[in-house]
Amino acid sequence: MTAATGDAKRGPAEDEELTKVTQGTLSPAGENGSELAEANGSGSAGRKSPELAAASRSPLPPASSGPVRGGRLTVLGWLRWGWRQLTSMRTALILLFLLAVASVPGSVLPQEGIDPAAVTQYYVSHPALAPILNRLSLFSVFAAPWFAAIYLLLFASLAGCVLPRTVRLIGSARQRPPRAPRNLARLPMSASYTTDLTPAAALAAAAGVLGRRRFRLDQGDGWVSAEKGYLREVGNLLFHVALLAVLFSVGLGGIFGYKADRLLIVGQGFANTPTALDVFRPGRLVTPGDLQPFSINLLSFSAKYVTSGPQVDEPISYNAWLSYQSQPGAQVQHYLLRVNHPLVVDNVSVYLIGHGYAPVFKVTDGTGKVRWEGPVPFIPVDQTTLTSEGVIKVPDAVPDQLGFAGVFLPTAVDVGGTLQSAFPAALNPRVSLVAFAGNLGMNSGQAQSVYQLNTKGMRELPIAPRPLAAGQSMRLPDGAGTVTYLGYQQWISLAITYDPGQLPALISGFAALAGLILSFLIRRRRVFVRAVSASDGSTEITVGGLARSDAAGGFEAEFTDLTELLRNEHVGRSWQAARTGDGTADQPDDFNSQERGRLAVPAESAVTADDAPASGDYHEAALSREGKRGSDARQHKPG
Amino acid sequence: MPVNTSLADASNALLFSTVILYALAMLSYACDFAFAKQRVIAAVTVPELVAAGAGGPAIATRDAAGDQPAGTGAAETGRWPAGFWLRLAFGLTCLGLVTHVFAILTRGLAEHRVPWGNMYEFIAAFTCMAVLVLVAASVRYRAYYMGLFVLLPVVLALGIDLTLIYTPAGSLVPALQSYWIAIHVTAMIVAIGLFVFGAVVTTLYLLADRSQRRIAAGKPSWSAGILQHLPAPAILDRLSYRSILFGFPVWTFGVIAGAIWADHAWGRYWGWDPKETWSFITWVVYAMFLHARATAGWRGRRAGYIQLAAFACLMFNVIGVNLWITGLHSYAGMS
Repeated sequence: MTAATGDAKRGPAEDEELTKVTQGTLSPAGENGSELAEANGSGSAGRKSPELAAASRSPLPPASSGPVRGGRLTVLGWLRWGWRQLTSMRTALILLFLLAVASVPGSVLPQEGIDPAAVTQYYVSHPALAPILNRLSLFSVFAAPWFAAIYLLLFASLAGCVLPRTVRLIGSARQRPPRAPRNLARLPMSASYTTDLTPAAALAAAAGVLGRRRFRLDQGDGWVSAEKGYLREVGNLLFHVALLAVLFSVGLGGIFGYKADRLLIVGQGFANTPTALDVFRPGRLVTPGDLQPFSINLLSFSAKYVTSGPQVDEPISYNAWLSYQSQPGAQVQHYLLRVNHPLVVDNVSVYLIGHGYAPVFKVTDGTGKVRWEGPVPFIPVDQTTLTSEGVIKVPDAVPDQLGFAGVFLPTAVDVGGTLQSAFPAALNPRVSLVAFAGNLGMNSGQAQSVYQLNTKGMRELPIAPRPLAAGQSMRLPDGAGTVTYLGYQQWISLAITYDPGQLPALISGFAALAGLILSFLIRRRRVFVRAVSASDGSTEITVGGLARSDAAGGFEAEFTDLTELLRNEHVGRSWQAARTGDGTADQPDDFNSQERGRLAVPAESAVTADDAPASGDYHEAALSREGKRGSDARQHKPG
Repeated sequence: MPVNTSLADASNALLFSTVILYALAMLSYACDFAFAKQRVIAAVTVPELVAAGAGGPAIATRDAAGDQPAGTGAAETGRWPAGFWLRLAFGLTCLGLVTHVFAILTRGLAEHRVPWGNMYEFIAAFTCMAVLVLVAASVRYRAYYMGLFVLLPVVLALGIDLTLIYTPAGSLVPALQSYWIAIHVTAMIVAIGLFVFGAVVTTLYLLADRSQRRIAAGKPSWSAGILQHLPAPAILDRLSYRSILFGFPVWTFGVIAGAIWADHAWGRYWGWDPKETWSFITWVVYAMFLHARATAGWRGRRAGYIQLAAFACLMFNVIGVNLWITGLHSYAGMS
């Protein structure tokens, strides 16, 4: 939020006109003065002053007025104009707006990257609309080309603004503060008093005071000028550069990182290889050999729920006991995996993100052979009661392949003749199965989900489904076989992520925050002191102040404070004596800031918040610096 | 640990008392507007330069350094030393703030956890922050004139919170059982409190600005009557800007803290969950406001509208996303 910034409001042909406005608000007085004037509806602070406009126009190179030069269009002119447009504040504002608007559908429509099942569901419920939305990438907004176009343009605009400003900052850090204006009383803030010191001694004392306050100083004949607050611009630049760094960090993760999911039943284990993972989303440059070779076993899992009161059914805790090895042959270690407490092994993080039940079945076929025995993960369809659904596929069954679609109820209760689950814990588990025989279609070459049964080539067996308790069997008709429900296991789902961009993103994020705070807290300001010998032999001191930051204000207090310090230095004891004499402060050495502030500005002192239109000699000093910025006036200086 | 029901009941009673105290404070602020003799800088009557000149030091001279205003005496923007009604109003506000804080404290003690785990608690917390900002601004910037306007939405929000959104005290789901709730959610509460204050001030700024322009153009202004109790639009503009300057970094911190927590809980620091998306949108639009505020041709009214748009995004994030969009942040307890 440095000085106000210009902005091409209209077409390029009007740039000349706009530059004036720009310069007006860039002017040092503008910060408090013109800002207020504008807020009050005049909006013409910049145009009030012809000499200002003239001064600001002169340093501009001719080409900067737009692509039209001498009535002809030049390629270079257009390019330059295009770059100026891109890096203008107006464009940045529009791009920010577009970024915000473009994000909205990503929160309203189901997203492929977040919930693929919801996208599939959307296709079913909106068969006509879904393909159109898909063409527009609206199911993967944040990976869409048009979304990337917006943020890349925004970051290009940002870079185009940040780079020249960095150069300027380095330049201005090398230069000395501008010479003091002739008439300090015309500055936004000023004060004057007399001292018995000689002008030279008074100025030396002033330089000492300002130097101790870590102002950058310059001195000349009868004046001292001081400037402070370069860190504001540093913070502002840091913020914007850090935002670019965040983007790069995200990209880093997308290129060298990977994400994977794995469903793990209690008692099972897996090694971190692509084939052992249920879902594997590698970054662009990740090969299977890059995966860290750890392995994990799930020893046990427990979930606790609230059993009574208004929060009944809500989970209290999930605990998964793991044993793991960081690589084959390494020492076996143990870890209690919980939500919010991921396992970190070899820079890879493993998270507990879900859980459910896996009923254990034994299926014998028509020949009496056991064709399936083991747990089958069922997927919760109701997160509150953990009513789960799943399928059993028995492709080896003879004479026909067998398939079952089942519902698992952790706590089955009879509600009006139908069984429902009343609680997420397995207090009274029951399984109900529908049996199919025929061709499972697993040899058709098409990939099948293990959680879905393709019943196209199958017939439903004529047997009424009945809830099975642990150990109970269901004999299939026509001698097709028997299915036994043996009990249940629990499973957990793990998210496995490796993201080398994580730490850079974190650092960049905090750097952006630090830059933001720096640029908000610090203001760039100048203080000038002039000393002139008066006719009666005393020296007249004038102090002027100028804050070059936004209109959040706050410089007045510091200026008051500084004036008091200077005055103290110049007038010294005699003034202190006078002050204690007037009875406003009982403890001269321990007066609080309130009194200090008041005392620094006696009624007759000339501290004013002058927001007169931009004119007067102090602008010469200001413009000697500002003029150099003329050509960059339309570049944005946000923060 | 089981919920301490007597403390939970005490919390409810305290919050109920808070609403009543705030409502009475509102009434007193209104009485102050209606009956108080002393008039402050009237936006509609003071010429532009005088208003800006007088306004400058009145607000702007107090700064992080903590110094008191220089050379500003009775011509303050607030009315202090105040008349009976304003003293009463401010006293009631402070009393309400105390019961509000105690309502939140007892709720936390009853639940043995940070008391912002669902939407009911969250609204109670950020309205408390908004009133805290109001009291701070009243003391520091003498913005006593804001009392009525800030308490109005606070009372409405708390009323809805106690009736429609009320959730009994309880424990947290595992996903919320992390010390990050104290960091991330607290930052969001502080930021939202500041944003609420900023939005109220900006609304008044836009009204005052409009009224001033209409009067300058010789047209009638329906809001002039109440706006004469407010300082110049430029002062309102600054006050609102300050609260956003304060709130924006806090919000940024909250988003970063949320990202760290998301990384701990869900295995990624950013996943475009609806809540994340909307806090991003909110952040972007507030950033737009800050940029517009520093840009010629955008500051003033336009920036004010952008700030209100940002606030609308924020409110949609706080309320809309909780109620209408399912995502990982569905902790509202409003199923």
